[in-house]
Amino acid sequence: MSESERACCHESATRRRTLPSAIGEPMVWLTGGALVVCLTMIAVLMTMVVVSGSKSFWPGPIERVTLTDGEVLLGIATEHEAQTQETAKRTLYRVGNRDIGQESFRWVDDAQIASIETPDDAVMLEREAWGVWFGVPESIERKAGDGEITVLARGGDEVFEAFDALHADARRTMAQVKRMKKRELGSINAEIDRLRLDVRQGEIELARGDEGLFRFSWVIWIGLGIVAAGLIGLVYRLRSYGTELGSANARRGSVIRASGTIGVVMLILAMWIAGPWKGQGVSASELEALRETVAQREAELLSEYDEVLGRIRAIESKDHEFRLVVVEPTSGHFAPVSQTLSDEPMYMSQVVRLVRANTLSTGEKIGVYFSRWWEYLSTNPREANTEGGVYPVIVGTVILTLLLTIFVTPMGVVAALYLREYAKQGLMTSVIRIAVNNLAGVPSIVYGVFGLGFFCYTVGGYVDTGAAESARLSSAAWWAMFVFAGLMLMLGFAAKLWSKPDPGKSASGLNVWMQRASWLVWGVVLVLVVVLVTKTPYFHGFFEARAHDGTPTFGTRGMLWASLTLALLTLPVVIVATEEAIAAVPGSMREGSYGCGASKWQTMRRIVLPGAMPGILTGAILAMARGAGEVAPLMLVGAVKLNQDLPISTQAPFIHADRSFMHLGFHIFDLGFQSPDSQAARPMVWTTTLLFLAIVFALNLAAIMIRSRLRAKMAGPTV
Amino acid sequence: MTSSVQSMESETSNQPVVRSVAYQSNHGAGQVEDYQVIEAIRRGETPNPTVHPEVFDAQAVIDIQGFNLWYSESQAIHDVTMRVPRGAVTALIGPSGCGKSTLLRSINRMNDLVEGVRVEGAIALNDSPIYAPSVDVISLRKRLGMVFQKPNPFPMSIFENVVYPLRIDGEKRKSVLEEACEKSLRAAAIWDEVKDRLKKSALGLSGGQQQRICIARAIVADPEVLLLDEPCSALDPVATLKIEELISEISERYTVLIVTHNMQQAARVSDYTAFMYLGRLVEYGPTAKLFQTPSLIETEHYVSGRFG
Repeated sequence: MSESERACCHESATRRRTLPSAIGEPMVWLTGGALVVCLTMIAVLMTMVVVSGSKSFWPGPIERVTLTDGEVLLGIATEHEAQTQETAKRTLYRVGNRDIGQESFRWVDDAQIASIETPDDAVMLEREAWGVWFGVPESIERKAGDGEITVLARGGDEVFEAFDALHADARRTMAQVKRMKKRELGSINAEIDRLRLDVRQGEIELARGDEGLFRFSWVIWIGLGIVAAGLIGLVYRLRSYGTELGSANARRGSVIRASGTIGVVMLILAMWIAGPWKGQGVSASELEALRETVAQREAELLSEYDEVLGRIRAIESKDHEFRLVVVEPTSGHFAPVSQTLSDEPMYMSQVVRLVRANTLSTGEKIGVYFSRWWEYLSTNPREANTEGGVYPVIVGTVILTLLLTIFVTPMGVVAALYLREYAKQGLMTSVIRIAVNNLAGVPSIVYGVFGLGFFCYTVGGYVDTGAAESARLSSAAWWAMFVFAGLMLMLGFAAKLWSKPDPGKSASGLNVWMQRASWLVWGVVLVLVVVLVTKTPYFHGFFEARAHDGTPTFGTRGMLWASLTLALLTLPVVIVATEEAIAAVPGSMREGSYGCGASKWQTMRRIVLPGAMPGILTGAILAMARGAGEVAPLMLVGAVKLNQDLPISTQAPFIHADRSFMHLGFHIFDLGFQSPDSQAARPMVWTTTLLFLAIVFALNLAAIMIRSRLRAKMAGPTV
Repeated sequence: MTSSVQSMESETSNQPVVRSVAYQSNHGAGQVEDYQVIEAIRRGETPNPTVHPEVFDAQAVIDIQGFNLWYSESQAIHDVTMRVPRGAVTALIGPSGCGKSTLLRSINRMNDLVEGVRVEGAIALNDSPIYAPSVDVISLRKRLGMVFQKPNPFPMSIFENVVYPLRIDGEKRKSVLEEACEKSLRAAAIWDEVKDRLKKSALGLSGGQQQRICIARAIVADPEVLLLDEPCSALDPVATLKIEELISEISERYTVLIVTHNMQQAARVSDYTAFMYLGRLVEYGPTAKLFQTPSLIETEHYVSGRFG
């Protein structure tokens, strides 16, 4: 570069000014602002749920409102509404007392209110049935068996004192009665049911008779057993054959071993399916004998039932002696036992809680508040879910979530392991990955439809009754297919072995064709297995009798199918997370492991999986969170409005995966939109939402804690 | 393959050493360039390597015969024939992409993990062929120890790291594992630094310490040969020095094959040096001779940093 050029360049290279667009200041405000908006929305949502959800159990003051037209009402103000174009300024009162024919909530124009007072003796009576009752306690009476009535306490304080003394006992008795009904009567009923189903099963089997299906005779069966034992011995002797020889021999050895093993497995399977002890069915005389024993046992059970029922009635009648009279001020009605017995006052045992809201100290109010929460968390729902607790709902939700996590995590992890570690990366794996990702975008209700159609009706129906009569193959065709499938399996294995090139060599034409052949054969085997299973004439289901009675066991909506449907729904989450976690394990770690002489599986188990474990658990947590929040598919595959039979119990078989269940998400929907008393349900919507949030948080928190413990155990400080 | 073996035996003594001045470089440094062998390699030929006779005096532990390797279509190693002497340190040097790492990885068949690799020729480890179809690659790798460029301790405790090769062989006896761990940590000259923290994560150590843990891991199962793939390239000078001292110590008990970029390192630690270029072996002999009186002008220029 010459002197003059340099000077010229220097002169022309005056600094260009900074563009306005280079100034980043507004972006700081924009991005920060966006974050603030997001955080605010989350904060508002959380505050709203927490505040609305937690205040619904607080005992508010009971107001005695005198209207300008002289009407008096007793209730709790739950909502105030400012003036609108249509309505004046008004207040919503919860007035309860549905028994006397009034709506349990009532809007009152503020202009019509003449006076409001908070009388000391006004109470809110929470009952087992018919919602709340507002009134003034008058007396506690005892009605003896001969109809004679003695008054135990009269007027305000005296009544409360007597109530406190008697109530706990009455509730205990009632709980005992409930328990007896559920446990003792329940188990008697269950056994009678079982006996009847036994007879029904016998009838079905008798009607079916021996269907002319192929069975081994005992002689042949024992002969086959000897052959199987011999084959096992042979395979064991050949366990090291070919491993010392060249690759061709090594393959031959593997094929012989594998074919022998497949042969043994198929033989044992055949011996089990067509065992000579099967298919005897029930003879007419056996059925007759069964009927007789059943009838005998049933009679025993029925007398036992009557005996228990008698005990229950005795306890109840004693319990029903104590009555609480709470009078409504305007009409003078007292709270009745029920609508059919409207001139009998409340039984003591039917009172859940008597809240004397106006004279409670703050401490007592807190006590009422927490006793309501406890009731909410620990008891069954009442009054179309608007009162009582959500215990079965919580149990249903938690078990569903745990089950779905248990199903989805191993399934997804194993699938992802194959996809990332074993499968040859190429077009096929890319297509599968795209498909899996797309699966995550399928609307959840679609999974619900699939779950109902496939799991509940198809798989469940099969579990209940086996293949439909028209779909069954003849036994000759079935066995031909069975043997063919076994041969194909051996063939596929051989083709797969010869599809691998020798070490250091690229795949030859033979290898490539063998690879394709093995895929074809695997496909055929898969189809054969599906046909063999779905069209077998040898299987009549596990719950045939119940299904024939029109009450399918697994062939309907239930916990198992719901959790499997959600597992399928969340599967992409786990697969994607696991794949990423596995891919994030550095190649240098794998190389190090291989360099130490570890096999692929050892490397995966000792290096890749532990390294990927936090990521895998993150996937499981995401899946759990997603699954716990799903409602739409559950409405199709198993969530119901009311089912107090929990999916786990102390009665065999302890886990009732076939039962339908209650779910918090569905419960919220049900309270909000399906409730006959929507005003009463509204506070419960918030409370249930709060609870749902808390449970999902708790589940996530537990999982995150497990993960962080694992992480701390796995790795030290990262470099 | 056969031709190269013959030539190796005949040509080492009568290979002409040409040092004529060909032309003046236009960079003006007065550099002499008459790289006959290198030019031939650049043209795609595979000239016969210059092998010093001392190599043949020693007993070979690894015997590479006419070895070729392809990554899919591109050939990375061209007809390499060389013998790695027992009980010595042999260094592979050469500019980037000369195939020295690939050659090293071919010995424990790490290249099997790469899709589309194809080989021809033979490698024998203590007279047993390693590319025969019946060879179990897992048990082959157990006979060799390998240390990589970047220290790659596993995310587990130091103890578990070192005994990993024994663990995967199903060794469960605590006493055996502890003894082996201490022995190889001592051999790797890191016992005193880590003996109080064996249960702590190996990832908490410094880079040099990590690499010595990796060396301890590589020798814990008593390998026949230790393969080092640029073991110091990710380390600072002090750590490098320590590793070099360690290599010298270890070479008393193990045969070491080391790939290095660093000429000084090769000169310091190795007994034999092989110079490779574009997948071909160029010159191979005792380190002292190769660095002081090489047969080829290319080698002389390469080791003195004037070329490559």
